Amino acid sequence: MRGWLWVLLVLGLGGLFLWGMQRDPRELPSVLAQERRPAPDFTLPLLPPYRGEWGETLRLADHLGQRPILLNFWASWCFPACYEEAPVLEEAWRRYRDRVLFLGVNVQDREADALRFVGQFGLTFPSVFDPRGRVGVDYGMYGVPETFVIDGEGRVMVRHAGAIDRFTLERYLQEVLR
Amino acid sequence: MGAWAQGEPPPDLSPEVFAIARELRCPVCQGESTAESNAGVAVEMRRIIAEMLAEGRTREEILAFFVERYGEWVLYEPPRRGITLWVWVLPFLGMGLLGLALLGYFRPKKALPPEVLEEAERRLREQET
Repeated sequence: MRGWLWVLLVLGLGGLFLWGMQRDPRELPSVLAQERRPAPDFTLPLLPPYRGEWGETLRLADHLGQRPILLNFWASWCFPACYEEAPVLEEAWRRYRDRVLFLGVNVQDREADALRFVGQFGLTFPSVFDPRGRVGVDYGMYGVPETFVIDGEGRVMVRHAGAIDRFTLERYLQEVLR
Repeated sequence: MGAWAQGEPPPDLSPEVFAIARELRCPVCQGESTAESNAGVAVEMRRIIAEMLAEGRTREEILAFFVERYGEWVLYEPPRRGITLWVWVLPFLGMGLLGLALLGYFRPKKALPPEVLEEAERRLREQET
């Protein structure tokens, strides 16, 4: 009888450990997306290439609630993930630019490096410059790249950690436009 | 959190800032606290703590500020309620069980019944004679 108790205890603990080892450590909860909270506002300077079209600074609240926004946190030192997703974002932006606003937030970077990155991939969606990364803290960001999908009402719908691929991005865009 | 200057050097931070930062997990480098890490986010979080302290906010308010954004995951000490209460209770439960097991193992063995002892003594005497 007591032998069985030990077997049960070992099996139970083993099961718990097995479950724990198979959890994805990158799947961290996002308070914003879970509760579908309003996207935190910020005002930041735009990177020079975008100033002609978008002005010197960009205030997120000016664009919230008008159309969905895809907010992408990136940095030039974030290799390879940011380099993988940059062409994917640019391609989707060209197809969706009249329906969804793509907005890059360059964090903890040097402006020269950021400009080199922008030039390398020919990114035409606007990016703001946040060298200290304070906006990231407001969004509960863990690390670059991270993408937030904000719906037409200005609420955070999804947080995607890591490089975003074509199919996942397409799914988010379809979902937010529904 | 409205106005801030971009690119200014980090302010001289008081030990109080680090005391609070030690209770927060660094979001990028998950094994470290915000006090130990030099990741950009951790540096910025220390700066935010310093600013909030300067505004006269309490330790609880500052921790709540980060929990609001990152969830309870960001706290190094899991809250003593809900599912994480188990983290606090289990060690004591384990110690209790271990204590019981040790007690059972080292408990003085029951003395042999008198008739067995008498029998043994009788046989001993028989051998001697």
